[in-house]
Amino acid sequence: MQESDEEVFGLVQRGDRRAFNTLVHRFGRRAYAVALRLLGRREDAEDAVQLAFLRAYESRVSYDSRWRFSTWFYRILVNACVDELRRRRPTEPVAAAEIPGAENPERSAMNRERQRCLQAALTEVPTEARIVLTLYYGDAKSYREIGEIRGVSVNTVKTHLRRGRLALRRALRARGVEEP
Amino acid sequence: MKQRHSQAPAPRGAARDRRSDAWLRETFNPPTLPHHLVRSIMRQLDLDLSAQAPLDLLDRLALAASPAGITQVSLRRGRVPAAPAAAGGRIGALLALARRELEEYLAGQRTFFTVPVDLSRVPAFERSALEVAARIPYGEVRSYRWIAEQLGQPEAARAVGNAMAGNPIPIIVPCHRVVRSDGTLGGYSFGLVRKETFLTLEQGTSAYVGCASTRILCRRGCAHERRIHPGGRIHFLALADALSSGYRPCQTCRPA
Repeated sequence: MQESDEEVFGLVQRGDRRAFNTLVHRFGRRAYAVALRLLGRREDAEDAVQLAFLRAYESRVSYDSRWRFSTWFYRILVNACVDELRRRRPTEPVAAAEIPGAENPERSAMNRERQRCLQAALTEVPTEARIVLTLYYGDAKSYREIGEIRGVSVNTVKTHLRRGRLALRRALRARGVEEP
Repeated sequence: MKQRHSQAPAPRGAARDRRSDAWLRETFNPPTLPHHLVRSIMRQLDLDLSAQAPLDLLDRLALAASPAGITQVSLRRGRVPAAPAAAGGRIGALLALARRELEEYLAGQRTFFTVPVDLSRVPAFERSALEVAARIPYGEVRSYRWIAEQLGQPEAARAVGNAMAGNPIPIIVPCHRVVRSDGTLGGYSFGLVRKETFLTLEQGTSAYVGCASTRILCRRGCAHERRIHPGGRIHFLALADALSSGYRPCQTCRPA
């Protein structure tokens, strides 16, 4: 029986650094996916994921085992992405060549094109709505979890989601991609 | 095409949403994690992230004040001895407050200053230029020309540059947020490297922090912001994001 995330992080809190490795493996891929959808650039996403894990490790004493580890960690992760977005704000939007999803050989050309359009379209969605969309569609989080991660009510999550979906649909259509 | 259309009419309402939900989930499908990332994270756990360069400046800052406010912040070559014991009363309190706020600012824990400044000994034009500069929000930059335009003298960009160069209270009056129109940095009395350091510090620090349990939004550095539990901190990119998420502005630091 696999130990729960909370149990593993309990070991980290008691000084077992190797246990943290387990969590990095469990959450790394999903964290990277979220960061990539929010930030667009691979290097930025890597930086944000690193920062989130390091911050989680540094603030391990303030973690309360009654919280779900994933909610607590995603909160740190999204905060790190917001910081990164802020750092970048005065500069240019993501160049088309850097849009991720193109390096995966398993994907068909059509899918790659769709990924590229999605990433470009996401930049037109307002920040909070983009965060909610990414957690909902990219990580299959529930309304309630998203609310807990961003500290908002379930209704606010739904509002952002609806708004985000509309903005995304508009932006995709402008790129010739029609949702079914 | 026509035939397919007649077989499957365009879905409406809930059916359409379900279908488009499935499509979106598939399109958002996560990419793979770069291999080197895990190793790099584990390697960095040994490094102390809290050691920040801007904070090293604190020991070299010399402050002066009048009863009305801070009159001078200057950068010394070596360590400045701790605040002179003789400065008691109001001036002593102002100096202590300024030093504390500067320390928090340099540590990335403060985005605004509450300590009053005294610019009464600065000539009128320079003073009004500095007052405009003082209103540039944390993490943002404006051009010398922009300040000149705010003063109603669009041709006076160079004079604004001189006013910034003569700013007696750098950091607290944020003349480092004033740059050239072409995006290059211009000048800075504490040295260009420091101007860049401050701008980098500000651009990487979110100015708005919300508390997940009270849903109150503060500017970073507010006393209430500091009491937010580390696990309950929510960073926001912009004020509008926080307000649209149901956060109320704090009554003390008044972010809105």
